Amino acid sequence: MSWRNELLAVWAVTLRNALMGARNVFFFFELLFWPVVGVLSIGLMSRFLELTPAQASFVLVGTIALSVINVCQLEVAYAVLLDVWSKSLKHQFLAPIGIRHLTLGSWVVGMVRSSVVFLLLAALGWWAFDFEVLRPGWLALATFLLGCFLTAWVVGVAVCALITLFGNRAEAFAWATVNLVLVLAGIYYPVSVLPGWIAAIARAIPLTYFLDAYRSYYGFPSEFAAPVATGLALSVLYGALAHWAFLAAIQRARRTGLLLKMSE
Amino acid sequence: MLAIDARDVEKTFRSGWFGRRETPALRGVSLTVERGSIVGVLGPNGAGKTTLLSILATLLTPDRGRVLVLGHDVVREAGVLRRRLNMASGRPSFLWSLRVGEIIAFYGRLYGLSGARLRRRVDTLIELCELGSYRRVPYSDLSTGLKQRVALAKSLVNDPELLFLDEPTLGLDPDVSVRVREHIARLRREQGITIVLTTHYMREADELCDEIAFIKAGRILSRGTPGELKRQIRLGEVIALRLDPPAVTWLAEAPGVLRCVEADGWVECTVDEAEKRLPELLRALHNDGVVIRNVQVREPELEEVFVELAK
Repeated sequence: MSWRNELLAVWAVTLRNALMGARNVFFFFELLFWPVVGVLSIGLMSRFLELTPAQASFVLVGTIALSVINVCQLEVAYAVLLDVWSKSLKHQFLAPIGIRHLTLGSWVVGMVRSSVVFLLLAALGWWAFDFEVLRPGWLALATFLLGCFLTAWVVGVAVCALITLFGNRAEAFAWATVNLVLVLAGIYYPVSVLPGWIAAIARAIPLTYFLDAYRSYYGFPSEFAAPVATGLALSVLYGALAHWAFLAAIQRARRTGLLLKMSE
Repeated sequence: MLAIDARDVEKTFRSGWFGRRETPALRGVSLTVERGSIVGVLGPNGAGKTTLLSILATLLTPDRGRVLVLGHDVVREAGVLRRRLNMASGRPSFLWSLRVGEIIAFYGRLYGLSGARLRRRVDTLIELCELGSYRRVPYSDLSTGLKQRVALAKSLVNDPELLFLDEPTLGLDPDVSVRVREHIARLRREQGITIVLTTHYMREADELCDEIAFIKAGRILSRGTPGELKRQIRLGEVIALRLDPPAVTWLAEAPGVLRCVEADGWVECTVDEAEKRLPELLRALHNDGVVIRNVQVREPELEEVFVELAK
């Protein structure tokens, strides 16, 4: 396949997801309602508990990351979910489309949507709770956002693999997986407070390192030697594994007939 | 030249814990299809028609057998093959919020179309499938017939050399079905597309197909042109007579007459060979003093062949 056709296929998926997102009320809710509710409730709770500005920033970083990753990973999962819901999966896989086109195209839309969520939450955090996302500087912020996007990409592709492997009943994974990852990655607390074996799992999650690196600018010393490099390396590794799993799941679905069943 | 060369294809679906429940769908199916022809795959529900089509269209991998489509192996060279074929089904489904034009354009991009070429292609297909007034209508707002026309337009977006149509007129109004059938015939006539279709409508198969493969319980039981199939299963031809007096007792025992039934003032005699038996019967009736008011000769309907084979 030529580069032109590669980009065209990615663009086709990007455009499709963007159009679907723009025309569905529920997608609008995902984008605005829950993220705003999250930041407001966590911000108000930190005020009630009389947390220091640094501690409040710590938990607000967590809640913003949660929203950004949630929105982005759902969009990546839509690569398969939209077709499962509309029962058009077989048309998609009858066309010369690879999983790279599906996941990349959806990821692009996910990044745009979650960037909008981030901007909105950053503005809300600054206005309501004096929380400045730019205090660590542009580079640190960009690295943090990249970490969130990469984590969302890995989780989203893994969800696609699970749905293609188990069918519609695995849909719940799409909603639950990311929250499990976030809990383990120390969304509202440093991973050092976790019990030993859970902390070991946390250290295997890329987001742990990106949160750690970003929070270090808010007065919480980093727990790791090279958090950004470790986070990036783990993301690439898991991204490759998730894609391999997704590909294997599609091949299995072609073998078992699940691809057809999900289109009936 | 062959568009499809499938040999001894087997497929079994497994379900339940550890896949212990097995449902054989295809049991050694062999099928060849000449380029530029229309071949119908007929059979009762659960016969394996859709499974066969899905394997040929690379949506399903066979357990055993060798399948070459347009010269490519459907498993090893599926990627190359997908650019050259397409499929439309009688129960189409696309993303609910996308508009008709957007659906066709989405699939067009997947096949490498962009810019002016894509716009021209979308315009052509919308015109061809009479979807002009619905271009900006969301898919979920379309009627069944319109959805099927969208599916047909989508299936032509890549100018396929081979087109699979799975019950293309299912649930359509008769007038729309006629137009879809005309369109399918035109595709072959004008563009030389090879078409493999499944249908439950015998008239459709009779009208469109050069050849018909009759499949039952995962096996191809019979194959040939509609005429050959009718002869193969020896249903005979029907000589319908309007007589005065209306009933003649000895007709059922006349040489070459397989059976005789009376209905609506007609006596319908199924005979082994109408060309030979008609003069004999007329002569015998005349000699018996029976007045012959009307005579009709017809071949058996494909539907009768279907019923016979499905038994």
